[in-house]
Amino acid sequence: MASTPEVHTALKVVDLPDLKTDVVSAGFVRNLVISGGAISFELTMALPQAVPASWVEQQKERCEAAVKALPGVTSVHVKASATVRQGKPADRAVMPEVTHVIAVASGKGGVGKSTTAANLALALVAMGHKVGLLDADIYGPSMPTMLGVNQRPDPASDKTIKPVQAHGLSVMSIGFLVDQDTPMVWRGPMVHGALSQFLEQVVWGPLDFVIVDMPPGTGDAQLTLTQRAPLSGAVIVTTPQQVSLIDARKGLKMFEQVKVPVLGIVENMSYLVAEGVDGELDLFGRGSAAKAATELDVPFLGEIPLEPAVSSSGDSGTPIVVGAPDSRAAAAFAALAKQVVTSLGGSADKPLDSMVWQA
Amino acid sequence: MTALPQGVKPAQLSQDGPEVLVIQWSDDTVTRHGVRDLRLGCRCAECVDEWTNLPRLDPETVPADVRPLRIEPVGHYGLQVAWSDGHGTGIYTFDTLWELGSSEPKSPSPTD
Repeated sequence: MASTPEVHTALKVVDLPDLKTDVVSAGFVRNLVISGGAISFELTMALPQAVPASWVEQQKERCEAAVKALPGVTSVHVKASATVRQGKPADRAVMPEVTHVIAVASGKGGVGKSTTAANLALALVAMGHKVGLLDADIYGPSMPTMLGVNQRPDPASDKTIKPVQAHGLSVMSIGFLVDQDTPMVWRGPMVHGALSQFLEQVVWGPLDFVIVDMPPGTGDAQLTLTQRAPLSGAVIVTTPQQVSLIDARKGLKMFEQVKVPVLGIVENMSYLVAEGVDGELDLFGRGSAAKAATELDVPFLGEIPLEPAVSSSGDSGTPIVVGAPDSRAAAAFAALAKQVVTSLGGSADKPLDSMVWQA
Repeated sequence: MTALPQGVKPAQLSQDGPEVLVIQWSDDTVTRHGVRDLRLGCRCAECVDEWTNLPRLDPETVPADVRPLRIEPVGHYGLQVAWSDGHGTGIYTFDTLWELGSSEPKSPSPTD
């Protein structure tokens, strides 16, 4: 008759390469019952993303085969299921029900930060997560156009408003509150005030992730967000050109200074894929972001190709992850989302409590 | 003492009597900070000229019994103190606190 450790050892062959673990080490095998030659257990898989039923069935069959091969085993019964892994929000005052807040930043403007933020958020939705998107670019909000929404947010109470829903995302942007052609001619303190309100007076609700589309640069808005938003990490977007990389380094150093973990660098506009172009056309010096990531000792999160559909789908209000999920760019965004989830792990760190001095 | 190691941050703030702030760091180091020294060590633009780096704060004007009223975390990188003398614009970064703490006598850490 097989013993529990024998069954566990046998099941370790059922590896999950995406998670760099196996079903036993991940703690997915539960309620193991050995009754003579009959073995039954539950395979409860908490995964970073939703998976097809066929994949679950496949893992179940692998488990059955592994255990059946043990001497003395006559029957194996496995009850398999998969759920999307939920982290736990840290106990905090700002965005209390949000598990992870992630900044998408660059030093330079025009590198595709907003495009990356929107598509990363939507790729996380496609993985089965509940996601919010905060457009923190007060001077040049892009999200109303990019997501094809422009409606006033509904009030939640006297002093709070609800985010606007678009493509399964909860979205907030200054663009929802002012006319599209009205410039925000504001000094720093006004920007600080508006961003603080977005953090404190928007009822984000229970979400797994809020992606913050940061404005370019390292100024007032960035300081406010790093001081007040409970950032779990930052993704730095750059294009391959040196002018962009120099500023990306500055953005990265800023996050290091304020102790926000840099999840990595992603290279946008890496290469061109288009009809009439043979293969992949290197326009700007593909690969220089990967080199910079190695130099700076941060992960490289991938290459997003320059694909005409990326830009046109953003302009038409349906980002490419939703509009053309089979495109090269959509696949690159999905891979980016996966890496972000993996590097953040499950739950957020509890922040330091404030302290009242006892005289 | 060396610079603050990457990833190390305050895990717990506590008080040792009315005049000493104790920071327990995530690597189990403990630093102790006399609160008046902390007030005098403020590096904000009101206390240190932001262009010349020369002190603007006259220690004589800080009451001998100055105390924190409230200590709040700022982002993932610092603490802001509301002081009994009305000052409150300074952010003490974790790097600064780690450096300041090194010159203070330290209580033995639990692993000693």
